[in-house]
Amino acid sequence: MNRREILGVAAGCAACAAVPGWLAASGLEPGRLVDPEDLPAREASWYKKLGGKKVECELCPQGCSVADLERGTCGVRENRGGTYFTLVHSVACSVHTDPIEKKPLFHVLPGEQAFSFATAGCNVECKFCQNWEISQFRPEQVRNLYLPPASLAEAAKRAGARLTAATYSEPVVFWEYVRDVAVAANKAGLRPTVVSNGYIEAKPLRDVLPLLSAIKVDLKSFRESFYVEQVRGHLQPVLKALEVIRAVGTWLEIVVLLIPTLNDSEEEIRDLARWVKEHLGSEVPVHFTRFHPTYRLTNLPPTPVRTLERAWQVARAEGLQYVYLGNVPGHPGESTTCPGCQQVLIKRVGYRIQANNLRDGKCPQCQREIPGVWE
Amino acid sequence: VSDRYSRRELLGLAATGLLACRADAGRAEGPVRRPGVVGIADLAAAGEGPSVEQGRAALERALVAATGHDSGPEAVRGLFTADDVIGVKVNCLAGRHLSPRVELVEALARLLVAGGVAANRIIVFERSSRELERAGFEIRRSGGPFRCFGIDNDWDARPSVEGSIGSCFARLVSEQCTALVSFGVVKDHDLAGVSAGLKNWYGVIHNPNKYHDNHCDPYVADVARHLRRKLRLTVLDGVTAQCQGGPAFHADGVFPLARVAVSTDPVAADAWAWAEIDAERGRRKLPTLEQDRRAPRFLATASGYGLGVGDPARIERVKA
Repeated sequence: MNRREILGVAAGCAACAAVPGWLAASGLEPGRLVDPEDLPAREASWYKKLGGKKVECELCPQGCSVADLERGTCGVRENRGGTYFTLVHSVACSVHTDPIEKKPLFHVLPGEQAFSFATAGCNVECKFCQNWEISQFRPEQVRNLYLPPASLAEAAKRAGARLTAATYSEPVVFWEYVRDVAVAANKAGLRPTVVSNGYIEAKPLRDVLPLLSAIKVDLKSFRESFYVEQVRGHLQPVLKALEVIRAVGTWLEIVVLLIPTLNDSEEEIRDLARWVKEHLGSEVPVHFTRFHPTYRLTNLPPTPVRTLERAWQVARAEGLQYVYLGNVPGHPGESTTCPGCQQVLIKRVGYRIQANNLRDGKCPQCQREIPGVWE
Repeated sequence: VSDRYSRRELLGLAATGLLACRADAGRAEGPVRRPGVVGIADLAAAGEGPSVEQGRAALERALVAATGHDSGPEAVRGLFTADDVIGVKVNCLAGRHLSPRVELVEALARLLVAGGVAANRIIVFERSSRELERAGFEIRRSGGPFRCFGIDNDWDARPSVEGSIGSCFARLVSEQCTALVSFGVVKDHDLAGVSAGLKNWYGVIHNPNKYHDNHCDPYVADVARHLRRKLRLTVLDGVTAQCQGGPAFHADGVFPLARVAVSTDPVAADAWAWAEIDAERGRRKLPTLEQDRRAPRFLATASGYGLGVGDPARIERVKA
């Protein structure tokens, strides 16, 4: 099986909870493979109708103006006769249980499992996308599992997960599904999380954030030119989304994938760190992760570890308190250290927790409170 | 840095420049046999539903006019060999009301067979078998006047980078077919301006939704550039055309153009479609596509790549 196919399905997810009314007539069974064309499409939540059967999507900064029978940039929303539909609600193409450290969310229930899911589609096109085999395809081009929110939450509990994570592709494009899964997860006593590019308009973001326990955002660069050339997006909307997240108060962590020669200059990292400190606060964790050649960016080498270490030093020197390195298993930069007394609080090797010395969210040595979602 | 100027791309750009210079010089070299020439046959007598026989006669006249050969079979032999596997991409997005007519597609197949191509080496295809069926085509992998089936998600394993696009092409196009025909319609497109022969090729990439900004420019031209070595012919079903409200079918935008157009120049064929759409828009007192700020800019880009003649004022309409 490749990534385009189902990554894995937790046992028992076919044991369905209530089927939502809009699908009740279809007779579909949760947990079964399904062709999205056989599902009744669901009207999108964030768009407006224009004249001449056109619609304008208000979900993300692409702001697609979509004619009848056409789709937005994401490839998962379609105009049918002047009404805009999402084609991916309850249609998961990847389902897997991962450690929360893989997201990565280092300040959220360390060592716990996150029941992770994705649909096809993405609203940008990063040339270095690790999951392009689902993110850059349309729902009808991948294998899909019918997994309505309540069934997903139940499957997560059966799998022993304490969290759910909308991840792998781009949750913004299946935001209605994210919202409804978050409601079901909270009801089931789970903590819903999201891994996103942050390329989303403020209103839909504000509508869903209060339902989430945490969100990780990929800040792909601190340069507009990078966003235009490598991502097919823009920087400012992401910065705005980050500020909205902090204002709402949902737990936030940021990942910066450092790509040799493209976004790894000391100057750019310094600018980024200063902005994070000034606009979001020094307590927001920032992860610098290692690039590996893939998709359309295969002519650059993996990021040297010394580049990551230099970024770590620059960010710390600028005053960020929780700076991590990623995709370098065993590196000390994976671990959480108390900014007060430098005690190692959570020692990580890859996605494994070797030691968790936190006590009630505090450093056991100096009693400093460490921000995060610990219970 | 990045994949912007790989060695392969630089070589490609150099080649493009050379070909563009050749096109400017008016030489008919490369895959375009007669740059700027569009053969046009009238089908008014057949009404909205031409028969296969009427279609074949009209297509043959248009093909002869487009190629300068003495007969249809001779023109076919000038474009294809008996060893070719010919992929005929039809555009069925708008459903039965505004897709290439089955009768005309069959007429083309018969013409190809008359020129020495075996029927089982002709594959009529679309993105999905469902779309073909909705447009009235019968799915068949063998037998009949041509084979007919959808790409149905059989894509290259890796994306190909061509200019601004990075896409997995249909394996049918990359591996199976040795020659390609675009069989489109003549219709308005909300973003691209015109959807005729070139835009039709969006159906052979896995991610067309990524390439609709900036009026699909330069993306439409980039897709065509990737296919240039196989692309031999463009056929446009203009029996019924649409000047407003596309790419979906909208009855109030439809008009009886009553023509089929054929060209070995894919850019000129689209330039002809653009002119016809604008002419009808003029008759209806609608702004031209240029005035509506959605002129098909990709034609100028394609022309710059050396793929053909994109200026409607410079194409040669040969009435059959």
